[in-house]
Amino acid sequence: MSDGSTRSDGGVQSDRHEPELTRGPFQRWVQKSIKDPKRVYRAMFYVATLFFLVTTLFPFYFLLVLAVTPDTGSLAVLPQLSTLEFGVFLDVFDRINFLRYMLNSVVLALSTTAIVLFLASLAGYVFGRLEFPGRQPLMLLILAISYFPPAAFFVPLYQLFTGNVVNGLSLYNTPGAMILPFSSLFMPLSIFILTTFYGQIPDGLEDAARVEGTTRLGALFRVIVPLSAPGVATAGVLTFIAVYNEFFFSQLMNNGQPENWAPIVGGLLSLQRAGQFEVTYGVMAAGSIIAVIPVAILVVVAQEKIVSGLTSGALKE
Amino acid sequence: MSTEHRTGDAPESGDRGLYASVVSWMENLSETQYAYLLLTPAFLLLGAIAFWPLLSTFRLSMFADSFGQASVGNFIGLGNYVAIITGERSALLPSPFLPEALTTRAFFNSALAVTVIFTVISVFFETIIGFVQALVLDQEFRGRRWVRVAIILPWAIPIVVQGMIFYLMFQPNIGFLVGTSDNPAFLNQLGLLSTTPLANAQDATMIAIVADVWKTTAFMALLILAGMQSIDRGLYDVAKVAGASAWQRFKYVTFPIILPTVMVAMLFRTIQAMRVYGLIETVSGCTTVPSLSCLVVTTFNNRMLGSSATIAFITAAIIAVAVSVYIVGYVRGGQ
Amino acid sequence: MARVQLENVSKHYDDVTAVNDMNLDIRHGEFICLVGPSGCGKSTTMEMVAGLTKPSEGTVRIGERDVTNLPPKDRGISMVFQNIALFPHMDVYENISFGLRLRDYEKEEIDRRVDDAAEVVELGGMLDRMPDEMSGGQRQRVAIARAIVRDPDVFLMDEPLANLDAKLRVHMRTQLQRLHRELDTTIIYVTHNQAEAMTMSDRIAVLDTGELQQIAPPLVCYNEPANLFVATFIGSPSMNTIPGSVTDTGFSSAYGDVHVEFDPTAVGVTPGQEVTLGVRPEDVYSSDLRDEVAHSTQAVSTRSDVLEPMGDEIFVYLVTEDVDLGGSMEEGSDPGEILMSVGPDSDITEGQDVDVVLDRSKLHLFDENGDAIAHGLVETPGAGAAGEAEAEGDD
Repeated sequence: MSDGSTRSDGGVQSDRHEPELTRGPFQRWVQKSIKDPKRVYRAMFYVATLFFLVTTLFPFYFLLVLAVTPDTGSLAVLPQLSTLEFGVFLDVFDRINFLRYMLNSVVLALSTTAIVLFLASLAGYVFGRLEFPGRQPLMLLILAISYFPPAAFFVPLYQLFTGNVVNGLSLYNTPGAMILPFSSLFMPLSIFILTTFYGQIPDGLEDAARVEGTTRLGALFRVIVPLSAPGVATAGVLTFIAVYNEFFFSQLMNNGQPENWAPIVGGLLSLQRAGQFEVTYGVMAAGSIIAVIPVAILVVVAQEKIVSGLTSGALKE
Repeated sequence: MSTEHRTGDAPESGDRGLYASVVSWMENLSETQYAYLLLTPAFLLLGAIAFWPLLSTFRLSMFADSFGQASVGNFIGLGNYVAIITGERSALLPSPFLPEALTTRAFFNSALAVTVIFTVISVFFETIIGFVQALVLDQEFRGRRWVRVAIILPWAIPIVVQGMIFYLMFQPNIGFLVGTSDNPAFLNQLGLLSTTPLANAQDATMIAIVADVWKTTAFMALLILAGMQSIDRGLYDVAKVAGASAWQRFKYVTFPIILPTVMVAMLFRTIQAMRVYGLIETVSGCTTVPSLSCLVVTTFNNRMLGSSATIAFITAAIIAVAVSVYIVGYVRGGQ
Repeated sequence: MARVQLENVSKHYDDVTAVNDMNLDIRHGEFICLVGPSGCGKSTTMEMVAGLTKPSEGTVRIGERDVTNLPPKDRGISMVFQNIALFPHMDVYENISFGLRLRDYEKEEIDRRVDDAAEVVELGGMLDRMPDEMSGGQRQRVAIARAIVRDPDVFLMDEPLANLDAKLRVHMRTQLQRLHRELDTTIIYVTHNQAEAMTMSDRIAVLDTGELQQIAPPLVCYNEPANLFVATFIGSPSMNTIPGSVTDTGFSSAYGDVHVEFDPTAVGVTPGQEVTLGVRPEDVYSSDLRDEVAHSTQAVSTRSDVLEPMGDEIFVYLVTEDVDLGGSMEEGSDPGEILMSVGPDSDITEGQDVDVVLDRSKLHLFDENGDAIAHGLVETPGAGAAGEAEAEGDD
């Protein structure tokens, strides 16, 4: 560093206005930074990045350490590798039917995503490409749904699904009791995302498809939807994550048993309840890690879609 | 060019009578009719699973709680609303709606107060931290993709896992952040945390806030980032030519342009935070931290259907108030 | 077989009438251009033929079949769009064969037809390209191949050359004419470019404000425009229109001293009637050349204003009278101005006094509604006294 040589012993270099001769490395750094503020920004940037990495990832690390430390009393931030036991991940599956909970979650999320994408495609096409009276009010009506807390839908839906509204119609403890509320509550976001994407397809392409021989509906599914594949994927990924992560109806629309289609919420809560009688923290942590794996993979694979979807969908609204 | 087949006689795939007539009926609808036809499935679903429950909840909120065989009691109009908002019903509710005294303890026991505390503090920190995260992600650097994954990851995990993480972190038995009275941990020594934080309303609320900030700051960051990246980079060149420092460029270019985006992001987060339920249920249970949504469920479990419906609608109304505050601010800011 | 008829077709939107009571009868194998300024209803008319827009009233027939309520796919038409409209997610082969595949043709038949069509538009060897890997001209040819591969009864082209650069446009114009000869199909071609319409079509349908102004072969539209709109729209540069009135002995302009002598009763006008005289720039001559014009008017004194040398000719803007030019920045010719085209070797300079004559056989007279009254004002009345005309000139 050339600055080191400027520690002039006897005014060899006096073109730099240095107030003092004796400085430690930190003061030197400060001195240089004042001359070149970019260095400060750069340093701040690295500190901030490191800070965010640590804070966001630490809880996951904590889960992992907790899971593989057999004796929770000896939990340490840097555990000794020799004492770790990875068998706990298998315990999760032995103790409860965790696989079934996971499967339930995935099935519920996939079915909801399919329903939402189909219905939102039709609606997104209408809002994005057609001019008709009532367009604006209907969009506002859909938007209004997202302002209500799930709790505001809960009591009537619970009564409906337990067969107290329509006799013989009992969906409680079936996938329908969750898929229906998920679909209607998560559909608005997909509608807004798809409205944006479908609206951007040039009119000429739809006309061309119809002249070439598709019906109006055919033009939607053969041309507009394939052309909007990134948007459809975005809406799909966001819906999947939203359903997989949902808590309210996932917990309240079944009795928490895996054979009654309870998703991972049920699984983890039953591990937690079991924890009140015997110490099962390691198993709870291991279960949590396993439950995160599907969405973690999705985030790594589809992060661009998530980013674009969140921003386009949310900012459009 | 082959001219053997005329298009009219092209091998159409058979005369499927019903299918053909449905298709021709659909093709001949006017644009408006077609629009409404395609909206029908979505609105049937929304009608049955969203609009009907809302109306039904509203209707339910006008009936008194029943403690007998019937599911609801007499029609009392807005009686439930009056009773709950004035605090008259508080004694009967699992947790009071309004604080019953002006003490910290009473505030953290009140559904309304605790929800507002939770919302204001968590949205405040999410905005600040999200802003800084967005600034970080706005830079070009190696490994940006992975930093972004790390930041998004908490947002993408199930609420129950989020709750589980913070439940475990603050378990006294695990002895990591929480010590015992004999062997206090760092946070206990600072007096920030009791030794049984998950059973203490104030501590549990703070833990829920930390958990919420941890999980949803990414959402804020991504929205703000999108706002930053939509700024015309040419504006920065103009500012540089005009002699603005990096801080001035941020203050006079970046900040005013993304302010509306930040407002929208805050609005979204506020709506979500006001309905917090799952996190609290997993971390501490609804009895310790009685958020409004928690109160809906606990009153329902106590078979107080009228009160439950009323609280649900009051929650929606409070959200509506918050939304209008933002909209007014947004419109003012836009002028 | 593929006659296209529009009978009393109208299209109304909420508060505008896009097409008003349109009647068109397009013969089999005809190349017809719908031409007019933007918003004249030409695209709406084509969309109604295609079935993309439903007429509010009236009947559309293709090949004697009432197709008014048929969707586009059942009309036996194909279409080339202004923005080309290739499906970006399909390669050239898939784009061209899209319509055939929808109709469940045999694979061999599809391949054969696609190859044939690609050959016609010289796209052989490019079938596996994606649209975004091709130039504008190539994409346009794919769009044309997609249209011809189904061997439609009627070809619809909506400004297909509008997005191409000038050179390519001229090239594609001749290609399209060649294609029309080879295919022997009815072609309906929409354009706002009157030069395209003039060069390619058998007949031109000139539209304005949703109404058909004239349908006739290009030269008829040029030489005998049905009204002022057609007269000024067809031909470049545009026809001069000189407002004025009928006198006992002919026409006298409102500005300047343009006089044409004719017998009002023979032409069918009455003295005092407000009329407009139309004359194309190439029918205005410097008075030095009056001997070369078989029937010329008397000289009009003007002053040259602006010269536009085009290389093969020069456009000279002549001012007949100093009308206030304040408002003349807007489009349309100034009432006191006459445009003349002269040979490239003309020695006219800006700001010079020029006397001009008009070729009486090429004059057009329009009534106050703009409808044509007469084309060519050759018959002279008995005695045309110059002094009389000068006296009228002061009006």
